[in-house]
Amino acid sequence: MTLSGYEALFFWIFGLAAIFAGLLTVMARNAVHSALFLISSLISVAALFILARAEFIAGVQILVYVGGVMVLFLFVIMLVNVGAEERGSEEIFNNQRQVTASLIFCLLLVGGMLYSINTGYRGLQARYPATQEAVAAQETIRDEAHAPSATGSSRITKDTESVGSSLYRYASLPFEIASILLLVAIIGSVMLARTLKQEASADDVAPENAD
Amino acid sequence: MQKYIWLVPLLPLIGAAINGLLGRKLRFSERLIGGIAVGSVALAFLISVAAVYSYGFGGHPEWPKPYLTSQDGFSFNWIPGGAVSVNHGAQYALLNIEWSYQLDPLSSIFMLIVTGVGLCIFVFATGYMHGETGFYRFFAYMGLFMFAMLVLVMGSNFLMMFVGWEGVGLCSYLLIGYYFDRQEAANASRKAFITNRVGDFGFALAIFGIIATFGSAQYVNVFEQAKSYPIELIGHWGVLSWIALGLFIGACGKSAQLPLHVWLPDAMAGPTPVSALIHAATMVTAGLYMVTRTNVIFQHSQTMLLVVALVGAATAIFAATIGITQNDIKKVLAYSTVSQLGFMFMACGVGAFAIGIFHVMTHAFFKALMFLGAGSVIHGMHHEQDMRRMGGLKKYMPYTYWTFMAGWLAICGVIPFSGFWSKDEILWNAASTTHIPLGWVVWLVGTIAATCTAFYMTRLMAMTFWGRERFLEAPAGGEADEAHASAYDKGLAPHDATFASAGDRPRHEPGEHVGPVHENVAHHVATHGHGEHHGAHIPHESPPSMWVPLAVLAVLATLGGLVGIGPAFRTLTGTEHPGGHLNIVTWLNPIIWNPVTREFNTPEGGHEAAAPIETTHAAPPVAEGAAEAGHGSVAAVYGDTGFNLAHAVEGSTHSELATEWIFIIISLVVAGIGMLLGGLFYVWRPALAGVWSQRLRPLYVASYNKYWVDEFYGLTVTRRTMDLARAVFSFDSRLVDGIVNGLAWLSRLFSRIVGGFDKYFVDGLVNTVAAFIMRLMSPLFRAAQTGFTQNYALVMVLGLMVAVAVFFARDILAVFGR
Amino acid sequence: MLTYLGAIFLQQGDTTRFDLMKQAAVNPDLSKFLVIGALLFIIGVAGVLTRRNIIVIFMSIELILNAANLNFIAFSRYLSAMGNVNAVAGQIFAVFVIVVAAAEAAIGLGIVIALYRNKETIWVDEIDLLKW
Repeated sequence: MTLSGYEALFFWIFGLAAIFAGLLTVMARNAVHSALFLISSLISVAALFILARAEFIAGVQILVYVGGVMVLFLFVIMLVNVGAEERGSEEIFNNQRQVTASLIFCLLLVGGMLYSINTGYRGLQARYPATQEAVAAQETIRDEAHAPSATGSSRITKDTESVGSSLYRYASLPFEIASILLLVAIIGSVMLARTLKQEASADDVAPENAD
Repeated sequence: MQKYIWLVPLLPLIGAAINGLLGRKLRFSERLIGGIAVGSVALAFLISVAAVYSYGFGGHPEWPKPYLTSQDGFSFNWIPGGAVSVNHGAQYALLNIEWSYQLDPLSSIFMLIVTGVGLCIFVFATGYMHGETGFYRFFAYMGLFMFAMLVLVMGSNFLMMFVGWEGVGLCSYLLIGYYFDRQEAANASRKAFITNRVGDFGFALAIFGIIATFGSAQYVNVFEQAKSYPIELIGHWGVLSWIALGLFIGACGKSAQLPLHVWLPDAMAGPTPVSALIHAATMVTAGLYMVTRTNVIFQHSQTMLLVVALVGAATAIFAATIGITQNDIKKVLAYSTVSQLGFMFMACGVGAFAIGIFHVMTHAFFKALMFLGAGSVIHGMHHEQDMRRMGGLKKYMPYTYWTFMAGWLAICGVIPFSGFWSKDEILWNAASTTHIPLGWVVWLVGTIAATCTAFYMTRLMAMTFWGRERFLEAPAGGEADEAHASAYDKGLAPHDATFASAGDRPRHEPGEHVGPVHENVAHHVATHGHGEHHGAHIPHESPPSMWVPLAVLAVLATLGGLVGIGPAFRTLTGTEHPGGHLNIVTWLNPIIWNPVTREFNTPEGGHEAAAPIETTHAAPPVAEGAAEAGHGSVAAVYGDTGFNLAHAVEGSTHSELATEWIFIIISLVVAGIGMLLGGLFYVWRPALAGVWSQRLRPLYVASYNKYWVDEFYGLTVTRRTMDLARAVFSFDSRLVDGIVNGLAWLSRLFSRIVGGFDKYFVDGLVNTVAAFIMRLMSPLFRAAQTGFTQNYALVMVLGLMVAVAVFFARDILAVFGR
Repeated sequence: MLTYLGAIFLQQGDTTRFDLMKQAAVNPDLSKFLVIGALLFIIGVAGVLTRRNIIVIFMSIELILNAANLNFIAFSRYLSAMGNVNAVAGQIFAVFVIVVAAAEAAIGLGIVIALYRNKETIWVDEIDLLKW
């Protein structure tokens, strides 16, 4: 699955962009800035998805994640957060000890994860020693099998088709459960965010008794 | 047909069970209940007649041996036995009690009496008890009684007799207390049962003695062995005398003899058919049955014979004198019953057991007749029982009157009614007995009692049926019956509507107001006042269901004595005991033990050769030709018995026949004297009764108060028992409960001590330790609860790292170990 | 990073470190994807533990989920390259992760709004009702 050429270039561009945007998400003072940085991070990750030949997931990510969840975030920020930081020089980070402890743990975690990824990957390669050329050759064969696009410059992959066929056949139960989960989430969020007056009018409960 | 005698007790029991269990649930009509009850008894009667006929008159090969149903398999092993050691010898007998019925001359007579007279009384009761809410209950209990009585008389062993004994006692309790909502009836039923129990105690001891001595309870076995025991004369008291004593105590209780007679008059609180059946004809004769059945044992003990005779005589005169002054018609008849039972025991005591049974039979006829007649009178008088308010009922209730007259003549002993034959024979045998000394005393007392009997029965007839109609002068009955009677006259109330405590009522004085039952009674009294005559309630004759049995019994009372025409009439009849098997003495011979020949079934007296009836009893050494033995041989058995009245008279007349006739004339004369005196005092010169009762005031008061026997018993027995109970109770509640409570107090004290120790010492220790730890650790743990979510998240991350490190411990160490 | 660098320096081999690094850079493969995912994850964790603003904490949680998604997709690509027939399972998983993340975001923000209505604050250190 080695990327090469322009793919590798764009991989690095978007990868670094994702990391950078994520960092800024965490470090931005303004919550709206944080949201926007998160959006850019998500889009970068979507591009990475495309590079990993998961086009459908990339689309889903942009549509649902960015287009739905982040918009929701922005709405809520507008509801609760407007002018919170500008009002005063509010502290955005926690107290010193918490931050210090967190950073120490995170650094330890980073070191551990990077080391384990590399070691694991070397072990993986040792176990499945298919050489790059053989893998690439196989992949090229599979890629050639795809139909060419209308303009002829690229191929139309079967990613969406395979995701769909697996999702509706082998993963249909989790699919249904996920739909129920979403239903529950809808109901729950509606209920949680009701005002007192809305609750009172719904249950015929006196406003002072509604909790 | 004998095989089916086991049906005879069973049929009334089935009838009783059906009536009792289903009568109320399925709401049987009175006709159905009565039909079931009467039908079952009638069927039992028919089977008894057929069985007795085929046994005694059909040439049954077994006659006169008793027939047991176990011979044909209609029995079952009731109490399978273990080994019981028998008194004599070192032998062990296997005591096996079976439930089988015995048909022999004695039990056959009782079967016929119980079912026959019982049938008449059942029919009467269907009319008398009409309208009662407990109709089904009455007939259920009566059927149960029939069953128990038949088991008593038909049983083949003493234990079955005891079962029947207790059963009739129970049914007597249930039936006397039939009106259980009335205090008087409840008390009377309890009294009857408890007094019976005193007698049963003696009976039970006697049964134990019988089983211990003879090793069996079956009649045939016991009597077979008892035959050969030596006779115990007066002054020698042996095992047979003990047994006889226990048996007689039982008989006293059941048959209301002198110390235990107190329950019978009070038992009149039950319905009149009950009084007729149980307390006149059948239950009270159970004692007689028992004594006659065990005549072997009694004849072995001269002392007990004397006791029986004297107690019987004393009872006869005692009750007769009380009966003279009673005003309740049923009480008079009750005391008359006690007196007549005394006569029967007199007969048994002097050795004339067959005559005693004969008197049982005739007494059943005329006493049941008179009780039913009294019931008819009471019914017709709208439940009035006080004779002072009756009078002149002759023209209002003719059937009752004429049938009652038959009974009156019978009990007075007028020839040729049944009572004459039996009573005369009793008195003759008392005068001429050689079984016991003091026979003449028994005769004298019996004669005086007979005079009194005639007197008070004539008094009863006069006050009830003759003379002026006193019920027109004073209000008859209490207000309840007033209202009922007026309503009935106007046709508003049905016959015998069920008012509260309708039925046999408490006695009250003329003019006395009984507690009101109707709301408008006060108004009734206010408008009508005391004693004001407001339209007499005319007594009415009873319905046919009530007077037809009276007629049947009247016929029996008139003609029933002909089965016992005595030897005095042998010039007329040609034999000593005319009638062959029908003659009661001949009939009962097989079960009477003759002390001379030491055998059953030898005729007493020697005026004709005994018919050579084959017996299978082993012949004892006494000569076979002892049939000619006359009085002398009996005297030889029992020794010199002192002055013998009959012999004294015979010494003057030199003819036994003449002697017998003299005694007959005497008993007729005394009966006539009694009747004349009764007529004098109560028909021709009624004022004389008041005059003489004043002159003999102390005697009158003593007789009227029944010689204060009940009060005496209350003082000595009843109240002292209750005092004992109270003393024991106070002992128990103070001492025993005190001990128990004291122990409880001790344990509570102990628990308080231990609790204090636990609370202060142990808990203090624990609390100190816990507080120490808490003060040490609490701030530490508290510090972790910051409420700050991110702290918790940090701890989660830390935990994640620790978990990963632990999981990959080997690999991590491998890195650094490299 | 230090351990990584350490691993590189300690590694023996015929090719030079720089060649290896250059090749790794020019031809990124699975491990690079995983590294990017890991870094995003750590950044998200740091954000969760450090920030005071509750909304920003939520966004950091989204970062974490996103990193996990990247992991899934990377492995799906790798497996399909290796010829495993079940390679698409990674993408399926990613779909569900997105679904769950969406649901969780909705509920979480509803809680935030309710919390804001009650306590009038978005600073988490002011919401310490469970403090002893």
